Amino acid sequence: MPNALKIKKGVEEGLNDFLEFLLKTEKVRAVFALKKMNDKGAVSYSLITDPDELKNAVPLYPLMPVNAGKALSSFTLEGATEEPVAAVLRPCELRAFIELVKRTQGSLDNILLISLTCGGVFPQRSVTKGNLKTLLSQYWESAKKADIDPNIRETCQSCEHFVPQLADVMVVSVGKKNIDKECTLVLNTKKGEEYAREAPGSTLSEEIETAETKKLKEKRKEKNEKMVEGFQKDGSGLNALVKTFAACLGCHGCSQACPICYCTLCDFDSKTQEYKPVSFDSELEQKGGLRVPPGTLYFHLGRMSHMAVSCVSCGMCSDVCPVNIPVSSLFSIVGASLQEVFGYVPGRDVEETVPSGTYKEEEFAEIGEQ
Amino acid sequence: MSSTQKDKNAVPDKGKILPAKEGVRKAITDFLKQSLEKNCFDAILIPVKVLDTDSYAWVLLQDESLLDQADPLPPVMTVQGGKALSSLTKHGEMYHKIAAVMRPCEIRAAVELFKLKQINLDNVSLISVDCPGAMPLSDYTADPESTKKTFENVFGKWEDSSSLRSVCQVCQRFSLPSHFPSSPLASTDSQNDADSSASDLHIGLLGGQMKQVYLIPVSAKGTELLEKLDLPPQDSLKDWESKAKGMVDKKIKKRDAFNKKWLDEVKGKDKFIGVFDECINCHNCMRVCPICYCQQCYFDSQTLKLTPEEYLQRAEKRGALRFPLDTLFFHLGRMSHMVLSCVSCGACEDACPMSIPVAQIFTAVGDRTQKDFDYVPGRNREESLPLQFYLEDEFCEVEVPNECKERTIGEGK
Repeated sequence: MPNALKIKKGVEEGLNDFLEFLLKTEKVRAVFALKKMNDKGAVSYSLITDPDELKNAVPLYPLMPVNAGKALSSFTLEGATEEPVAAVLRPCELRAFIELVKRTQGSLDNILLISLTCGGVFPQRSVTKGNLKTLLSQYWESAKKADIDPNIRETCQSCEHFVPQLADVMVVSVGKKNIDKECTLVLNTKKGEEYAREAPGSTLSEEIETAETKKLKEKRKEKNEKMVEGFQKDGSGLNALVKTFAACLGCHGCSQACPICYCTLCDFDSKTQEYKPVSFDSELEQKGGLRVPPGTLYFHLGRMSHMAVSCVSCGMCSDVCPVNIPVSSLFSIVGASLQEVFGYVPGRDVEETVPSGTYKEEEFAEIGEQ
Repeated sequence: MSSTQKDKNAVPDKGKILPAKEGVRKAITDFLKQSLEKNCFDAILIPVKVLDTDSYAWVLLQDESLLDQADPLPPVMTVQGGKALSSLTKHGEMYHKIAAVMRPCEIRAAVELFKLKQINLDNVSLISVDCPGAMPLSDYTADPESTKKTFENVFGKWEDSSSLRSVCQVCQRFSLPSHFPSSPLASTDSQNDADSSASDLHIGLLGGQMKQVYLIPVSAKGTELLEKLDLPPQDSLKDWESKAKGMVDKKIKKRDAFNKKWLDEVKGKDKFIGVFDECINCHNCMRVCPICYCQQCYFDSQTLKLTPEEYLQRAEKRGALRFPLDTLFFHLGRMSHMVLSCVSCGACEDACPMSIPVAQIFTAVGDRTQKDFDYVPGRNREESLPLQFYLEDEFCEVEVPNECKERTIGEGK
C-alpha cells in the first residue's frame, strides 16, 4: 500500500497548497495546470511560475479545454525540460501524453506527473452557458458518492480508465465523502515521495483502488455497454456510417483536437488527397451525383485507422464538433475492440511499443492461414 | 444616378418572371431541371438534403431526380459554397459544364477564391439567389424541426429576424452581388461591366410575394442561358429592385450600428483578449473560412515551436503562460491575412464550439479595413486584391502626414 499525504483542507485547496509548496521550495520551476481566464468560467492550461498566480489555478475543475497530453507534448517537443515541472492532468490526458512520448513527440523527463481519480469533465461549451457554479456543486456531490454525474461528457460517463496508473502523485477525488475537508495525495512512486518530502500534512498509507472506485467502474461499464448497444441499434455498415457523418462540415476539428493526431500536416489535408478535375468528372458519370467536398467518410475512417489503437477516449473530438457528431463514442468503441485484439492499452506503460510500429513474426497467423 | 453610370453598373432593367405556384424553391429547381434537359449545363452544384437525415451537403448532380431533394436556400449554411466550388475546380476546369447555385456571400467568396487562383470559372456559371439569411448551425443541430419552422417564417416574410445568425441580420449584400448596395459601395468606375460581374444569373425573390421568381441575366453567359431556354428577359424588374433597395438601405443602417458596437466592444488590448478567453485553439474558424485556403496555416506550422526553456522564460516574464500559446496571435494573424476578403458569411462563428462571436468581430473589422481600400470583396471578378495591387500614392497620409490632408484613414475616399 503506497504512502499518502493527508492535508486537512478541501481537496481543491489542499492540492493548491501542495503545488504552492513545490513552487516556493523551488522543487519545481513551474506548475502546469488549469487556470481561470475570467470569472465566467473560461479556463486554460497554464505554465505557472509565480506562486501568486496559483490563486487562479483550478487544477481539479472538470473541464478540458485542450487535452493536456497534447499541451505537454508541445512543451517538451524540442527536448526534455532541464528543470522539474509539476503537471496536473487527468488520467486520459496522462495516457495521451504517454502515447505521444512513445511517438517521440514529447519527454517525460523532469516532469512530476500529478493525476487524479477522475469524475469526468463537462463538455467545454458548458462554460458558455453561465451556470458553471451550479454544475460544479452537483459534480462534487456526485464525486463524493462515486456516482456518474449526468452533466459530464458522454465519453466520460462510460470511461473505465479513470484511475491513473502512472502518476507520481494521485489526488483522491472520487468516492470519498469528506473531500470538502480532507485532501489525500497518494504518493504512487519514489519520485512522488521525494517531491512530497517536508510537504505540510500528515503521512499515512492509502489504496489506489478502493471499494468506491470499483463501484464507479461497474457503473461506467454498464453505461458503456448501453452506449455500444445504442450504436448497434442504429445499424451498421456503410449506410449507418453515411448517416452518422451526414452533417460533417469537414472542418477536421476532431483531428486538430485529438492528442494522438499529432501530424503537422494531416494526410487528409494534403495535396495527395485532392481530387483532380478528371476524377470528379468520372465519378460524376458513374454516380450521377457526388458530395462536395469529397472524402468525408474516407477522412473519418482513415483517421480512425491511423489513431484508434492509441485512442484514450478523452472526448476532445466530440467536444469540438460543431454539429454534434458522436465521434468520440464511435472512436472509443472501435478503439477498445482494436486494442483488445492487440492486447494493448494505450498509455499503460511507456516501454510498451505501439502495435502498428512493432513487428511480430507470428502475429495474426490465423488470418493468413485460413 | 446618371445614365452613363447606370450603363456601366449594368443593372439589368429586364428579366424573366417565372410563376412559382408550388413555392419559390420548386420554381428554381424546375428551372434548373429544364436547363439540364436542354443541355445548358451538364451538372449542377447545389445543397441537397442527405437521405434519411436532417443534414444538407453540397452535391454536384447530373441526375435530374436528385434535384427533388435539392434546396437552393436551406435553413443553414453547412460548407461555404465558395469552398465547395474551390474543391471542385482548384486544379483546373472540369470537362462537365457546371452551374453553381449559391447564396450571395458564397458567390462573393467564390469570386475572391477566383482572384486567389483557387477556383477556375471557365466552365462554371454562377447563379446567385436573394438570400433571407441562415439559422445558427448550433440551433439547427440541436433542434432541426423547430429551427426549420422558424426559418420558413422568416423566409416567407423577408422580415428582420433575431433568430437568424447575427451576421445575416446585418447583411446588406444579400441580393445581386455586383450591384447592391448601388452607392457608394458598388463600383462607380468601369470595373463593373457585365463581363466581370460576380454572378452570371441572379434569381430575385424579393418583391415577388413568394408567388414568382425573377430570372435576372447579369453577364453575357446569363443572357445566353435565358436565350437557350427560350425565356426572353422582357419583364420589368421594378418590383424586385425597389423592394431590394429598400431592404438594403435598412440593413446598411443596422450594420453601421452593429459595427460601431463591436469596434467599441473589442477596443484595446484587454477587451480584445477578453473576447478570446474561451478559445480552445481548435482552429475550426480557420478551417471553415472560405478565404483561409492555405494548405497549411502558418499558425499550425512548426515555425512557432519553442524549447522548454524558452517556454519557461516566457512564463516567468508574466508569472504564467497560457497553453497552447499565441491564441491572440492566431486570431490577429488570421485576421490580418484574410479580413480584406472577408465576405461575412458567418461560417467561422457557426463552427466555433465555444460560441465566440468571431464572425461579428471579423465583419466589423473587415468593413472598416475594406473601406480604407474602397474594396468590396467579391463584388467584381476583375477588381484586384488590394494587397496585390500597387498604387503609388496610396496611403500617402501615412508616410507624409502633413502633405496629404484630403483623406484621413478610415473615412474612405
